[in-house]
Amino acid sequence: MTKIFWAIVGKELIAFIRSWQLVFVVLYAFSVEVYIAGSGIEINPRNVAVGYVDLTGGGMSQKILTRLHAPEFLPPKRFDSQQQLSRAIFNKEIIIGIVFNADFEKNWRGGKRTQLDVLVDATAASQAYTTLGYLQNIVLDLSGVNLLLEIASHKLFNPNADNHTFMALTEMLSIITMLTVILTAVVFVREKEQGTWDIMLLMPVDPKLIILAKSFSQVIIVMVGIVISLGFVVFGMFETPMNGSFAAFMVLSFFYVFATAGIGLFIAAVARDVMQVAQLSIIIMMPMIFLSGAWTPIHAMHPLLQLLSYASPLRYYIEGSESIFYRGTQWGDLWPYFLGVTAVGGVMYAMGFRKIGRLF
Amino acid sequence: MKIGVIKAYILKELTELVRSRFIIMVYLMPSMILFLFGYGIRMEVTHARTLILDNDQSPISHQLVSKFEHSKYFDVTLSSVSEDEALRRIKRGESDLIIIIPESFEKRLLHAQPTQIGVYVDAAFPSRGVTMENYVKGVVLDAASSVAPGLAKGIIQINQRSLFNQAMRDEDAIVPGLIGLVLLVAPAILAALLIVKEKERGTMFNFYASPVAKAEFLSAKMIPVFLLHSVNIFIVFLWAVYLFEVPFRGSFLLYWIASEFYIIISLSIGMLISIITRTQIVAVVLTVIITIIPGFLYSGIIMPISSMIGMSRVEAHIFPVMYYNHILYDVFLVGEGLASAKTQGYLAILALYGAGLLTLGSLLLRKELK
Repeated sequence: MTKIFWAIVGKELIAFIRSWQLVFVVLYAFSVEVYIAGSGIEINPRNVAVGYVDLTGGGMSQKILTRLHAPEFLPPKRFDSQQQLSRAIFNKEIIIGIVFNADFEKNWRGGKRTQLDVLVDATAASQAYTTLGYLQNIVLDLSGVNLLLEIASHKLFNPNADNHTFMALTEMLSIITMLTVILTAVVFVREKEQGTWDIMLLMPVDPKLIILAKSFSQVIIVMVGIVISLGFVVFGMFETPMNGSFAAFMVLSFFYVFATAGIGLFIAAVARDVMQVAQLSIIIMMPMIFLSGAWTPIHAMHPLLQLLSYASPLRYYIEGSESIFYRGTQWGDLWPYFLGVTAVGGVMYAMGFRKIGRLF
Repeated sequence: MKIGVIKAYILKELTELVRSRFIIMVYLMPSMILFLFGYGIRMEVTHARTLILDNDQSPISHQLVSKFEHSKYFDVTLSSVSEDEALRRIKRGESDLIIIIPESFEKRLLHAQPTQIGVYVDAAFPSRGVTMENYVKGVVLDAASSVAPGLAKGIIQINQRSLFNQAMRDEDAIVPGLIGLVLLVAPAILAALLIVKEKERGTMFNFYASPVAKAEFLSAKMIPVFLLHSVNIFIVFLWAVYLFEVPFRGSFLLYWIASEFYIIISLSIGMLISIITRTQIVAVVLTVIITIIPGFLYSGIIMPISSMIGMSRVEAHIFPVMYYNHILYDVFLVGEGLASAKTQGYLAILALYGAGLLTLGSLLLRKELK
């Protein structure tokens, strides 16, 4: 039994390695893609192009402007009129435009209600939100009002709100999902397409063993990919913290990859050729990745979507991974994630297993 | 180029596409992505699970707590657990945010002594953490100025006007960007398998042996996909304008032309992948990787291109998404159209891009065995 099992696993691994293009693409996904996502995206304001029109003749306005410095802001650019400023925003050269009206300085000195006009290019909504908050803080700080009330704020687990490690990590988790589904499905569908499926049926081997071994071989490939990605990119390039147990993460990943292989089995049972695999896997994966909370917080979703997200094993996996990497949660407190991944994943694998088992 | 040959070949391609239930890919997937993401993605953070430890229990602290309770951004739980227990709750992912109001909070404020409110934010999801932090500051400031109106006098108020997207609706900012993503991914994946499929099955030899020219072969492969996806330009437009109620301020003609160019680019990317790969699985994985991820990163949904630095800035200029999305945001929200030199330039870049990829594809396609 075990000998046959390992023989099939070995055969699939050799088939994988022989296709150098596939090896290359998988390696690329696990390294370069993760790196690009991690290094490219910055949600905090950075290099925000600011333009201004100053009708006051200096003073307070200049004080505010000198506070807008690198790396969050590019040096503010002066415009002579509001029309010119709007024009620059239209062309996306400027994201935030500040207009100091003629009575701005006077009102402020006189202690009257002072108003600062800000024009925002809100097509870049997320950065516009954060930049406005930033500006509010600067202005508040400069107004010299003594509020007596200090807000001592601590960002736990990630004090600088460093976005890079986080993006690299979630990108890796999404790639794990994508590759596991597609690789597992294609291992079976390729046999259908090339006509070797019938030969497989004729083999004197228990079909259950074939299914298990074939999906296990792809799990191994993805697990190796995870190790490479963690070592070279997530830890190597981005200095991601590891506050929890590494072993816990690997075990959780193993369960998760197996669960996702179940989705691949399901697709393999339904699809007749690789084209259909591509279609089905995108249709299934997109909502799954989306509902996991990787891109948008689950608690801000529509209640119906929140309910649906319980059915996505990726949700437990991502929350669990965040907890292990950042929050440093101990084994004992990780059980909801393990339970979620194994329960939802177990059902998925069993369903996929039964569905493809009918074809034997 | 013989029209008759192309016609016959197109007929054959269409039949094959119909047989492989391609309709899912062509019409269901783009709309599905648009629905899901258009309704789902919210940049705003709402309903942050907030744990407030009110150690003061005074009228002023109650007032502050009720400010939080009445905000849609926070789901408040009042609790009297210890600070350690509260921190453990964050660790277990049960709370997003802790606010600690110290003892003798009111007394110190009334005696004009400085006092501190402790705020602990779960920054495991960094952008969410920063946003929550800013909201807390806003609520506390609001509470302070309502308790002591005199305070508001010296404060400079920021009067913010958003151009193009007055209501700061998330849909307006996201949906046009999604169109750029959808029209990049869907045609590319459909096109990516067309040639490599023949290679893997061995039917490629029919093409090697037949007198069909390369240009005829390529156009027969691309024209059906192009026509099918051209319909999508109108479908996604209708969803955006009538379902998501995104304003449309520009010229429809510009939208249409730019989208057709964009579809040609997307098709050509798929076609190139199909030409260089040997097996279908490689083609699928490669297409997913080089369209979905850059489609998101460089679409401007998550961050504006002007804020990028280094590698990612260069890459953003290499991928076609940036140019198309500029035009999309222009026709939907700005409405300046071809009057802007930048839009003219970007349209030209899209056209050149498409032409370049097509030429590259026909150069790389071989008509004999290596």
